[in-house]
Amino acid sequence: MKKTDDTFDDVRVAEDAARWFAKLQGESATAADWLAFERWLQSAPLHAKAYERLEGLWIDLEYSPIAKDLGGRPLVAARRRARSARRVSLNRRAWLGGGAVLAASVGAAIGLGVWTSGGVAQTYETHAGQIRDVALADGTHIRLNASSKIVVRLGRDARRVQVADAEAVFDVAHDAKRPFLITVADRQIRVVGTEFNLRHRADLLDLTVRRGVVEVRSAATLDAAPTRVAVGQELIHTAGQSASLLKVSDPDQIFAWTNGQLIYRDQSLSDVAADLSRRFATPVRAADAKTAAMHFTGVLVTDNEMEVLRRLEAYAPVRVERTSNEIILHHR
Amino acid sequence: MVSRAFSPSFGGGESIDLADDDRSSLIELYLDRRTDLVRFFTVRLRSPAAAEDLVQDIYVKLAGLETTAEIQNPMAYLYRLGSNLMLDRLRGERRTANRDGAWLDSQTTRVGGHEVSAEPSAEAAVAARQRLARLTEALNALSPQTQRVFRMHKFEGLSHPEVAAKLGISRSAVEKHMMAALKHLSAKLP
Repeated sequence: MKKTDDTFDDVRVAEDAARWFAKLQGESATAADWLAFERWLQSAPLHAKAYERLEGLWIDLEYSPIAKDLGGRPLVAARRRARSARRVSLNRRAWLGGGAVLAASVGAAIGLGVWTSGGVAQTYETHAGQIRDVALADGTHIRLNASSKIVVRLGRDARRVQVADAEAVFDVAHDAKRPFLITVADRQIRVVGTEFNLRHRADLLDLTVRRGVVEVRSAATLDAAPTRVAVGQELIHTAGQSASLLKVSDPDQIFAWTNGQLIYRDQSLSDVAADLSRRFATPVRAADAKTAAMHFTGVLVTDNEMEVLRRLEAYAPVRVERTSNEIILHHR
Repeated sequence: MVSRAFSPSFGGGESIDLADDDRSSLIELYLDRRTDLVRFFTVRLRSPAAAEDLVQDIYVKLAGLETTAEIQNPMAYLYRLGSNLMLDRLRGERRTANRDGAWLDSQTTRVGGHEVSAEPSAEAAVAARQRLARLTEALNALSPQTQRVFRMHKFEGLSHPEVAAKLGISRSAVEKHMMAALKHLSAKLP
Protein backbone atom coordinates (compact mmCIF):
# COMPACT_ATOMS: atom_id res chain seq x y z
CA MET A 1 0.00 0.00 0.00
CA LYS A 2 1.44 3.31 -1.07
CA LYS A 3 2.22 5.65 1.77
CA THR A 4 0.54 8.99 1.35
CA ASP A 5 0.22 12.18 3.30
CA ASP A 6 -3.48 11.63 3.66
CA THR A 7 -4.86 12.14 7.06
CA PHE A 8 -6.90 9.39 8.60
CA ASP A 9 -9.99 11.47 7.76
CA ASP A 10 -9.24 11.63 4.03
CA VAL A 11 -8.82 7.88 3.87
CA ARG A 12 -12.01 7.30 5.80
CA VAL A 13 -13.96 9.72 3.59
CA ALA A 14 -12.61 7.99 0.46
CA GLU A 15 -13.76 4.66 1.90
CA ASP A 16 -17.19 6.06 2.65
CA ALA A 17 -17.42 7.41 -0.88
CA ALA A 18 -16.53 3.96 -2.24
CA ARG A 19 -19.14 2.36 -0.02
CA TRP A 20 -21.83 4.78 -1.23
CA PHE A 21 -20.85 4.38 -4.85
CA ALA A 22 -21.01 0.60 -4.69
CA LYS A 23 -24.22 0.58 -2.70
CA LEU A 24 -26.10 2.97 -4.95
CA GLN A 25 -25.20 1.02 -8.06
CA GLY A 26 -26.76 -2.10 -6.64
CA GLU A 27 -30.38 -2.74 -7.33
CA SER A 28 -31.30 -3.26 -3.69
CA ALA A 29 -30.66 0.40 -2.84
CA THR A 30 -33.80 2.14 -1.56
CA ALA A 31 -35.08 5.71 -1.65
CA ALA A 32 -34.04 6.00 2.00
CA ASP A 33 -30.47 5.11 1.00
CA TRP A 34 -30.46 7.92 -1.53
CA LEU A 35 -31.74 10.39 1.04
CA ALA A 36 -29.06 9.27 3.47
CA PHE A 37 -26.51 9.74 0.69
CA GLU A 38 -27.82 13.26 0.09
CA ARG A 39 -27.33 14.04 3.78
CA TRP A 40 -23.82 12.60 3.71
CA LEU A 41 -22.93 14.74 0.67
CA GLN A 42 -24.16 17.86 2.40
CA SER A 43 -22.57 17.19 5.78
CA ALA A 44 -19.07 18.20 4.61
CA PRO A 45 -17.63 19.66 1.37
CA LEU A 46 -14.94 16.99 1.53
CA HIS A 47 -17.58 14.31 1.04
CA ALA A 48 -18.84 15.71 -2.25
CA LYS A 49 -15.27 16.18 -3.46
CA ALA A 50 -14.33 12.62 -2.61
CA TYR A 51 -17.39 11.29 -4.42
CA GLU A 52 -16.68 13.38 -7.50
CA ARG A 53 -13.11 12.13 -7.52
CA LEU A 54 -14.44 8.59 -7.53
CA GLU A 55 -16.80 9.32 -10.41
CA GLY A 56 -13.84 10.77 -12.34
CA LEU A 57 -11.92 7.61 -11.70
CA TRP A 58 -14.86 5.47 -12.80
CA ILE A 59 -14.88 7.23 -16.15
CA ASP A 60 -11.10 7.24 -16.53
CA LEU A 61 -11.28 3.46 -16.32
CA GLU A 62 -13.20 3.42 -19.55
CA TYR A 63 -10.06 4.56 -21.33
CA SER A 64 -7.92 1.78 -19.91
CA PRO A 65 -6.64 -0.95 -22.24
CA ILE A 66 -8.84 -3.48 -20.45
CA ALA A 67 -11.97 -1.65 -21.48
CA LYS A 68 -10.69 -1.42 -25.01
CA ASP A 69 -10.00 -5.14 -25.15
CA LEU A 70 -13.70 -5.79 -24.82
CA GLY A 71 -15.04 -4.48 -28.08
CA GLY A 72 -12.43 -1.98 -29.15
CA ARG A 73 -14.12 1.16 -27.90
CA PRO A 74 -14.71 2.30 -24.35
CA LEU A 75 -18.32 2.49 -23.23
CA VAL A 76 -19.53 -0.18 -25.65
CA ALA A 77 -19.88 -2.57 -22.72
CA ALA A 78 -21.54 0.00 -20.52
CA ARG A 79 -24.04 0.88 -23.23
CA ARG A 80 -25.21 -2.70 -23.44
CA ARG A 81 -26.98 -2.12 -20.17
CA ALA A 82 -29.03 0.76 -21.49
CA ARG A 83 -32.60 -0.43 -21.66
CA SER A 84 -34.56 2.27 -23.36
CA ALA A 85 -35.04 1.14 -26.92
CA ARG A 86 -37.42 3.77 -28.14
CA ARG A 87 -35.67 6.98 -28.91
CA VAL A 88 -37.43 10.20 -28.11
CA SER A 89 -35.49 12.79 -30.00
CA LEU A 90 -35.97 16.32 -28.84
CA ASN A 91 -34.85 19.71 -29.83
CA ARG A 92 -31.87 19.95 -27.48
CA ARG A 93 -31.99 23.72 -27.33
CA ALA A 94 -35.43 23.58 -25.87
CA TRP A 95 -34.17 22.06 -22.63
CA LEU A 96 -31.65 24.75 -21.93
CA GLY A 97 -32.97 27.09 -19.32
CA GLY A 98 -36.49 25.73 -19.56
CA GLY A 99 -38.05 28.99 -20.59
CA ALA A 100 -36.02 29.44 -23.76
CA VAL A 101 -38.87 30.61 -25.89
CA LEU A 102 -40.70 33.19 -23.85
CA ALA A 103 -41.91 36.25 -25.55
CA ALA A 104 -40.97 38.07 -22.39
CA SER A 105 -40.86 41.77 -22.29
CA VAL A 106 -40.61 43.88 -19.20
CA GLY A 107 -43.85 45.81 -18.96
CA ALA A 108 -43.91 49.51 -18.40
CA ALA A 109 -44.02 50.76 -14.88
CA ILE A 110 -47.01 52.85 -13.90
CA GLY A 111 -47.80 55.33 -16.65
CA LEU A 112 -47.40 59.04 -16.44
CA GLY A 113 -50.40 60.76 -15.02
CA VAL A 114 -51.79 62.55 -12.09
CA TRP A 115 -51.00 60.79 -8.89
CA THR A 116 -54.45 60.47 -7.34
CA SER A 117 -55.15 58.46 -4.21
CA GLY A 118 -56.61 55.81 -6.42
CA GLY A 119 -53.72 55.72 -8.79
CA VAL A 120 -53.67 55.56 -12.56
CA ALA A 121 -55.19 52.48 -14.13
CA GLN A 122 -52.70 50.51 -16.19
CA THR A 123 -53.81 47.59 -18.34
CA TYR A 124 -51.50 44.68 -19.04
CA GLU A 125 -52.54 42.23 -21.67
CA THR A 126 -51.12 39.28 -23.58
CA HIS A 127 -52.38 37.52 -26.68
CA ALA A 128 -52.24 33.81 -27.45
CA GLY A 129 -48.67 32.57 -27.45
CA GLN A 130 -47.30 35.50 -25.52
CA ILE A 131 -45.88 35.44 -22.00
CA ARG A 132 -45.02 38.79 -20.49
CA ASP A 133 -43.09 39.98 -17.45
CA VAL A 134 -44.33 43.11 -15.73
CA ALA A 135 -42.46 45.10 -13.10
CA LEU A 136 -44.64 47.45 -11.06
CA ALA A 137 -43.38 50.65 -9.49
CA ASP A 138 -43.72 49.19 -5.99
CA GLY A 139 -41.33 46.35 -6.79
CA THR A 140 -44.02 43.76 -7.41
CA HIS A 141 -43.26 41.40 -10.24
CA ILE A 142 -46.00 39.79 -12.32
CA ARG A 143 -45.53 37.14 -14.97
CA LEU A 144 -48.54 37.05 -17.24
CA ASN A 145 -49.37 33.87 -19.07
CA ALA A 146 -50.78 33.87 -22.59
CA SER A 147 -54.25 35.24 -23.38
CA SER A 148 -54.47 37.21 -20.16
CA LYS A 149 -55.63 40.63 -19.10
CA ILE A 150 -55.30 42.50 -15.83
CA VAL A 151 -55.73 46.13 -14.77
CA VAL A 152 -53.46 47.56 -12.09
CA ARG A 153 -53.95 50.68 -9.94
CA LEU A 154 -51.24 51.57 -7.45
CA GLY A 155 -52.83 54.07 -5.08
CA ARG A 156 -51.68 55.82 -1.92
CA ASP A 157 -53.50 53.58 0.52
CA ALA A 158 -53.82 50.39 -1.44
CA ARG A 159 -52.53 48.61 -4.51
CA ARG A 160 -55.37 47.21 -6.59
CA VAL A 161 -55.62 44.74 -9.43
CA GLN A 162 -58.65 43.75 -11.43
CA VAL A 163 -58.34 40.31 -13.00
CA ALA A 164 -60.37 39.34 -16.06
CA ASP A 165 -59.61 36.13 -17.95
CA ALA A 166 -56.00 35.54 -16.96
CA GLU A 167 -53.29 33.50 -15.39
CA ALA A 168 -50.32 35.06 -13.69
CA VAL A 169 -47.69 34.53 -11.06
CA PHE A 170 -47.63 37.39 -8.60
CA ASP A 171 -44.51 38.12 -6.59
CA VAL A 172 -45.81 40.92 -4.43
CA ALA A 173 -43.40 43.33 -2.81
CA HIS A 174 -43.90 43.76 0.87
CA ASP A 175 -45.66 46.98 1.83
CA ALA A 176 -47.65 46.82 5.05
CA LYS A 177 -49.03 50.33 4.53
CA ARG A 178 -50.49 49.43 1.17
CA PRO A 179 -52.25 46.08 0.99
CA PHE A 180 -52.27 44.43 -2.39
CA LEU A 181 -55.91 43.76 -3.28
CA ILE A 182 -56.96 41.69 -6.27
CA THR A 183 -60.57 41.50 -7.42
CA VAL A 184 -61.48 38.36 -9.31
CA ALA A 185 -65.18 38.01 -10.23
CA ASP A 186 -66.94 37.78 -6.86
CA ARG A 187 -63.79 37.38 -4.80
CA GLN A 188 -61.24 39.75 -3.34
CA ILE A 189 -57.73 38.55 -2.58
CA ARG A 190 -55.63 40.36 -0.05
CA VAL A 191 -51.87 40.05 0.05
CA VAL A 192 -49.21 41.76 2.13
CA GLY A 193 -46.04 40.34 0.64
CA THR A 194 -46.05 36.96 -0.99
CA GLU A 195 -45.72 34.83 -4.15
CA PHE A 196 -48.58 32.92 -5.72
CA ASN A 197 -50.09 31.74 -8.99
CA LEU A 198 -53.50 33.08 -9.83
CA ARG A 199 -55.57 31.55 -12.59
CA HIS A 200 -58.97 32.79 -13.63
CA ARG A 201 -60.47 31.05 -16.66
CA ALA A 202 -64.18 30.87 -17.47
CA ASP A 203 -65.74 31.15 -14.00
CA LEU A 204 -63.07 29.27 -12.16
CA LEU A 205 -60.59 30.90 -9.81
CA ASP A 206 -57.56 28.80 -8.95
CA LEU A 207 -54.97 30.21 -6.56
CA THR A 208 -51.79 28.47 -5.41
CA VAL A 209 -49.41 29.99 -2.88
CA ARG A 210 -45.69 29.47 -3.05
CA ARG A 211 -44.55 31.96 -0.41
CA GLY A 212 -46.37 33.83 2.29
CA VAL A 213 -50.06 33.89 3.04
CA VAL A 214 -52.98 35.14 1.01
CA GLU A 215 -56.47 36.01 2.23
CA VAL A 216 -59.51 35.41 0.05
CA ARG A 217 -62.92 36.84 0.88
CA SER A 218 -66.21 37.55 -0.83
CA ALA A 219 -66.02 40.89 -2.67
CA ALA A 220 -69.56 41.68 -1.59
CA THR A 221 -69.03 41.21 2.15
CA LEU A 222 -65.52 42.47 2.76
CA ASP A 223 -65.70 42.38 6.52
CA ALA A 224 -66.61 38.71 6.63
CA ALA A 225 -63.93 36.31 7.83
CA PRO A 226 -61.51 35.49 5.03
CA THR A 227 -60.13 32.15 3.93
CA ARG A 228 -56.38 32.08 4.43
CA VAL A 229 -54.34 30.26 1.82
CA ALA A 230 -50.80 29.40 2.84
CA VAL A 231 -47.74 27.80 1.26
CA GLY A 232 -48.51 24.53 -0.46
CA GLN A 233 -52.21 25.27 -0.53
CA GLU A 234 -54.54 25.83 -3.43
CA LEU A 235 -57.91 27.53 -3.41
CA ILE A 236 -60.49 26.80 -6.07
CA HIS A 237 -63.58 28.90 -6.37
CA THR A 238 -66.42 29.01 -8.87
CA ALA A 239 -67.97 32.45 -9.27
CA GLY A 240 -71.39 32.69 -7.70
CA GLN A 241 -70.82 29.94 -5.16
CA SER A 242 -70.53 30.79 -1.50
CA ALA A 243 -67.97 28.13 -0.60
CA SER A 244 -64.50 27.50 -1.97
CA LEU A 245 -62.35 24.41 -2.04
CA LEU A 246 -59.05 24.56 -0.21
CA LYS A 247 -56.61 21.77 -0.89
CA VAL A 248 -53.01 20.75 -0.55
CA SER A 249 -51.11 21.34 -3.72
CA ASP A 250 -47.72 21.22 -5.35
CA PRO A 251 -46.65 24.75 -6.30
CA ASP A 252 -44.01 23.38 -8.68
CA GLN A 253 -46.63 21.77 -10.85
CA ILE A 254 -48.78 24.91 -10.94
CA PHE A 255 -45.82 27.23 -11.52
CA ALA A 256 -44.31 25.02 -14.22
CA TRP A 257 -45.67 27.22 -16.99
CA THR A 258 -43.26 29.96 -15.94
CA ASN A 259 -40.42 27.60 -16.84
CA GLY A 260 -41.91 26.75 -20.21
CA GLN A 261 -43.42 23.52 -18.98
CA LEU A 262 -46.92 22.25 -18.38
CA ILE A 263 -47.30 19.47 -15.86
CA TYR A 264 -50.43 17.35 -15.96
CA ARG A 265 -51.59 14.81 -13.47
CA ASP A 266 -54.52 12.77 -14.73
CA GLN A 267 -56.20 15.72 -16.38
CA SER A 268 -58.52 15.69 -19.35
CA LEU A 269 -57.23 16.22 -22.85
CA SER A 270 -59.65 19.11 -23.23
CA ASP A 271 -57.76 20.92 -20.44
CA VAL A 272 -54.49 20.24 -22.25
CA ALA A 273 -55.99 21.50 -25.50
CA ALA A 274 -57.24 24.69 -23.83
CA ASP A 275 -53.79 25.40 -22.35
CA LEU A 276 -52.09 24.78 -25.69
CA SER A 277 -54.57 27.06 -27.44
CA ARG A 278 -53.49 29.87 -25.17
CA ARG A 279 -49.81 29.06 -25.29
CA PHE A 280 -49.69 29.04 -29.09
CA ALA A 281 -51.53 31.12 -31.64
CA THR A 282 -53.39 28.22 -33.26
CA PRO A 283 -56.54 26.98 -31.51
CA VAL A 284 -56.33 23.36 -30.39
CA ARG A 285 -59.35 21.23 -29.67
CA ALA A 286 -60.40 17.64 -29.17
CA ALA A 287 -62.30 16.13 -32.10
CA ASP A 288 -65.07 14.58 -30.06
CA ALA A 289 -66.27 13.91 -26.54
CA LYS A 290 -64.37 10.65 -26.31
CA THR A 291 -61.07 12.33 -27.15
CA ALA A 292 -61.82 15.23 -24.83
CA ALA A 293 -62.44 12.85 -21.96
CA MET A 294 -59.11 11.06 -22.34
CA HIS A 295 -56.81 11.58 -19.39
CA PHE A 296 -53.24 12.66 -19.65
CA THR A 297 -50.39 12.52 -17.17
CA GLY A 298 -47.06 13.98 -18.10
CA VAL A 299 -44.83 16.98 -18.64
CA LEU A 300 -44.97 19.00 -21.83
CA VAL A 301 -42.15 21.36 -22.63
CA THR A 302 -43.81 24.18 -24.51
CA ASP A 303 -40.93 25.41 -26.61
CA ASN A 304 -42.52 25.37 -30.03
CA GLU A 305 -45.85 24.24 -31.36
CA MET A 306 -44.64 21.57 -33.76
CA GLU A 307 -42.48 19.89 -31.15
CA VAL A 308 -45.15 19.93 -28.47
CA LEU A 309 -47.71 18.31 -30.73
CA ARG A 310 -45.20 15.74 -31.88
CA ARG A 311 -44.46 14.86 -28.27
CA LEU A 312 -48.14 14.67 -27.45
CA GLU A 313 -48.54 12.15 -30.24
CA ALA A 314 -45.62 10.18 -28.84
CA TYR A 315 -46.84 10.20 -25.24
CA ALA A 316 -50.58 9.81 -25.76
CA PRO A 317 -52.75 7.74 -28.12
CA VAL A 318 -53.80 10.78 -30.13
CA ARG A 319 -53.45 11.76 -33.73
CA VAL A 320 -52.89 15.41 -34.60
CA GLU A 321 -54.77 16.87 -37.53
CA ARG A 322 -53.84 20.29 -38.86
CA THR A 323 -56.31 22.38 -40.81
CA SER A 324 -55.76 25.89 -42.13
CA ASN A 325 -56.95 27.53 -38.95
CA GLU A 326 -56.91 25.00 -36.16
CA ILE A 327 -55.45 21.84 -34.71
CA ILE A 328 -57.68 18.89 -33.92
CA LEU A 329 -56.73 16.01 -31.65
CA HIS A 330 -58.16 12.64 -32.55
CA HIS A 331 -58.32 9.63 -30.33
CA ARG A 332 -56.15 6.92 -31.96
CA MET B 1 -42.49 -5.54 -9.02
CA VAL B 2 -43.60 -1.96 -9.54
CA SER B 3 -46.72 -1.24 -7.53
CA ARG B 4 -49.83 -0.83 -9.63
CA ALA B 5 -51.49 1.49 -7.17
CA PHE B 6 -51.65 4.32 -9.69
CA SER B 7 -54.23 4.45 -12.41
CA PRO B 8 -52.93 4.25 -15.97
CA SER B 9 -52.24 7.43 -17.94
CA PHE B 10 -54.90 6.83 -20.52
CA GLY B 11 -58.42 6.30 -19.29
CA GLY B 12 -61.64 6.05 -21.19
CA GLY B 13 -61.98 2.28 -21.47
CA GLU B 14 -58.75 1.70 -23.40
CA SER B 15 -57.17 -1.70 -23.48
CA ILE B 16 -53.77 -0.89 -22.08
CA ASP B 17 -50.77 -3.14 -22.51
CA LEU B 18 -48.44 -3.97 -19.67
CA ALA B 19 -45.63 -1.64 -20.69
CA ASP B 20 -47.92 1.42 -20.67
CA ASP B 21 -49.22 0.60 -17.22
CA ASP B 22 -45.79 0.15 -15.62
CA ARG B 23 -44.36 3.15 -17.37
CA SER B 24 -47.24 5.35 -16.31
CA SER B 25 -46.79 4.24 -12.69
CA LEU B 26 -43.18 5.32 -12.89
CA ILE B 27 -44.19 8.62 -14.42
CA GLU B 28 -46.73 9.17 -11.65
CA LEU B 29 -44.00 8.53 -9.11
CA TYR B 30 -41.69 10.89 -10.95
CA LEU B 31 -44.29 13.66 -10.89
CA ASP B 32 -45.02 13.04 -7.26
CA ARG B 33 -41.40 13.19 -6.13
CA ARG B 34 -40.00 15.55 -8.70
CA THR B 35 -39.17 18.10 -6.01
CA ASP B 36 -37.03 15.56 -4.15
CA LEU B 37 -35.17 14.74 -7.34
CA VAL B 38 -34.53 18.40 -8.14
CA ARG B 39 -33.29 19.04 -4.62
CA PHE B 40 -30.92 16.08 -4.73
CA PHE B 41 -29.45 16.98 -8.09
CA THR B 42 -29.12 20.61 -7.05
CA VAL B 43 -26.81 19.34 -4.31
CA ARG B 44 -24.86 17.24 -6.81
CA LEU B 45 -24.69 19.78 -9.62
CA ARG B 46 -24.57 22.91 -7.42
CA SER B 47 -26.98 24.64 -9.76
CA PRO B 48 -30.78 24.65 -9.60
CA ALA B 49 -31.00 25.31 -13.33
CA ALA B 50 -28.76 22.38 -14.20
CA ALA B 51 -30.74 20.19 -11.82
CA GLU B 52 -34.03 21.16 -13.49
CA ASP B 53 -32.48 20.32 -16.83
CA LEU B 54 -31.35 16.93 -15.65
CA VAL B 55 -34.60 16.02 -13.93
CA GLN B 56 -36.37 16.88 -17.16
CA ASP B 57 -34.05 14.53 -19.01
CA ILE B 58 -35.06 11.80 -16.57
CA TYR B 59 -38.62 12.30 -17.69
CA VAL B 60 -37.60 12.03 -21.32
CA LYS B 61 -35.88 8.74 -20.56
CA LEU B 62 -38.96 7.48 -18.74
CA ALA B 63 -41.22 8.37 -21.61
CA GLY B 64 -39.04 6.31 -23.90
CA LEU B 65 -38.80 3.18 -21.78
CA GLU B 66 -39.93 -0.04 -23.38
CA THR B 67 -40.45 -2.12 -20.29
CA THR B 68 -40.06 -1.51 -16.59
CA ALA B 69 -41.17 -4.85 -15.20
CA GLU B 70 -37.87 -5.61 -13.45
CA ILE B 71 -37.62 -2.57 -11.21
CA GLN B 72 -37.52 -3.44 -7.51
CA ASN B 73 -37.21 0.04 -6.03
CA PRO B 74 -38.82 2.52 -8.39
CA MET B 75 -37.74 5.67 -6.55
CA ALA B 76 -34.15 4.49 -6.30
CA TYR B 77 -34.38 3.69 -9.99
CA LEU B 78 -35.23 7.32 -10.74
CA TYR B 79 -32.25 8.54 -8.72
CA ARG B 80 -30.01 6.05 -10.48
CA LEU B 81 -31.32 7.12 -13.89
CA GLY B 82 -30.42 10.70 -13.06
CA SER B 83 -26.99 9.76 -11.72
CA ASN B 84 -26.22 7.84 -14.88
CA LEU B 85 -27.27 10.83 -16.93
CA MET B 86 -24.84 12.90 -14.90
CA LEU B 87 -22.08 10.43 -15.65
CA ASP B 88 -22.97 10.56 -19.34
CA ARG B 89 -22.54 14.29 -19.30
CA LEU B 90 -19.20 13.95 -17.65
CA ARG B 91 -18.15 11.45 -20.29
CA GLY B 92 -19.20 13.86 -23.00
CA GLU B 93 -17.20 16.66 -21.49
CA ARG B 94 -14.13 14.47 -21.22
CA ARG B 95 -14.43 13.23 -24.77
CA THR B 96 -14.49 16.81 -25.97
CA ALA B 97 -11.42 17.56 -23.89
CA ASN B 98 -9.50 14.48 -25.02
CA ARG B 99 -10.10 14.85 -28.72
CA ASP B 100 -6.99 13.54 -30.48
CA GLY B 101 -4.84 16.10 -32.17
CA ALA B 102 -7.10 18.95 -31.19
CA TRP B 103 -5.43 22.03 -29.87
CA LEU B 104 -7.89 23.89 -27.71
CA ASP B 105 -7.56 27.08 -25.74
CA SER B 106 -6.70 26.61 -22.14
CA GLN B 107 -10.10 26.42 -20.55
CA THR B 108 -11.58 24.64 -17.63
CA THR B 109 -15.20 23.63 -17.79
CA ARG B 110 -17.22 22.44 -14.86
CA VAL B 111 -19.77 19.70 -14.73
CA GLY B 112 -21.24 19.86 -11.27
CA GLY B 113 -18.16 19.93 -9.09
CA HIS B 114 -15.96 18.20 -11.63
CA GLU B 115 -13.23 20.16 -13.24
CA VAL B 116 -12.61 19.04 -16.77
CA SER B 117 -9.56 20.54 -18.33
CA ALA B 118 -9.83 21.19 -22.05
CA GLU B 119 -6.14 21.62 -22.69
CA PRO B 120 -4.36 18.56 -24.00
CA SER B 121 -0.83 19.86 -23.61
CA ALA B 122 2.10 17.52 -24.00
CA GLU B 123 2.53 17.27 -20.24
CA ALA B 124 -1.13 16.53 -19.78
CA ALA B 125 -1.00 13.72 -22.35
CA VAL B 126 1.94 12.08 -20.62
CA ALA B 127 0.32 12.46 -17.23
CA ALA B 128 -2.87 10.90 -18.57
CA ARG B 129 -0.99 7.91 -19.94
CA GLN B 130 0.81 7.44 -16.66
CA ARG B 131 -2.43 7.64 -14.76
CA LEU B 132 -4.00 5.03 -16.98
CA ALA B 133 -1.00 2.77 -16.47
CA ARG B 134 -1.32 3.12 -12.70
CA LEU B 135 -5.03 2.35 -12.93
CA THR B 136 -4.41 -0.82 -14.89
CA GLU B 137 -1.66 -1.84 -12.49
CA ALA B 138 -3.95 -1.26 -9.54
CA LEU B 139 -6.70 -3.32 -11.18
CA ASN B 140 -4.34 -6.19 -11.73
CA ALA B 141 -3.31 -6.08 -8.09
CA LEU B 142 -6.83 -6.85 -6.87
CA SER B 143 -7.63 -10.29 -5.53
CA PRO B 144 -8.84 -12.68 -8.25
CA GLN B 145 -12.49 -12.76 -7.18
CA THR B 146 -12.64 -8.98 -6.72
CA GLN B 147 -11.05 -8.52 -10.12
CA ARG B 148 -13.59 -10.90 -11.64
CA VAL B 149 -16.52 -9.03 -10.10
CA PHE B 150 -15.09 -5.67 -11.11
CA ARG B 151 -14.46 -6.64 -14.71
CA MET B 152 -17.89 -8.18 -15.11
CA HIS B 153 -19.68 -5.19 -13.66
CA LYS B 154 -17.56 -2.36 -15.00
CA PHE B 155 -16.27 -3.67 -18.30
CA GLU B 156 -18.85 -6.24 -19.35
CA GLY B 157 -21.72 -4.06 -18.20
CA LEU B 158 -23.47 -6.67 -16.05
CA SER B 159 -25.67 -5.45 -13.25
CA HIS B 160 -25.02 -6.47 -9.64
CA PRO B 161 -27.71 -9.18 -9.66
CA GLU B 162 -26.38 -10.47 -13.00
CA VAL B 163 -22.85 -10.71 -11.64
CA ALA B 164 -24.15 -12.41 -8.49
CA ALA B 165 -26.03 -14.98 -10.53
CA LYS B 166 -23.11 -15.71 -12.82
CA LEU B 167 -20.62 -16.18 -10.00
CA GLY B 168 -23.03 -17.88 -7.63
CA ILE B 169 -22.53 -15.29 -4.88
CA SER B 170 -24.88 -12.93 -3.05
CA ARG B 171 -25.65 -9.38 -4.17
CA SER B 172 -24.14 -7.99 -1.00
CA ALA B 173 -20.95 -9.90 -1.77
CA VAL B 174 -20.86 -8.21 -5.18
CA GLU B 175 -21.33 -4.86 -3.46
CA LYS B 176 -18.51 -5.59 -1.02
CA HIS B 177 -16.14 -6.57 -3.83
CA MET B 178 -16.97 -3.41 -5.76
CA MET B 179 -16.41 -1.31 -2.68
CA ALA B 180 -13.08 -2.99 -2.00
CA ALA B 181 -12.00 -2.45 -5.61
CA LEU B 182 -12.94 1.22 -5.57
CA LYS B 183 -11.23 1.77 -2.23
CA HIS B 184 -8.05 0.22 -3.57
CA LEU B 185 -8.15 2.14 -6.84
CA SER B 186 -8.75 5.51 -5.23
CA ALA B 187 -5.96 4.88 -2.75
CA LYS B 188 -3.52 4.10 -5.58
CA LEU B 189 -4.39 7.24 -7.53
CA PRO B 190 -4.04 10.56 -5.72
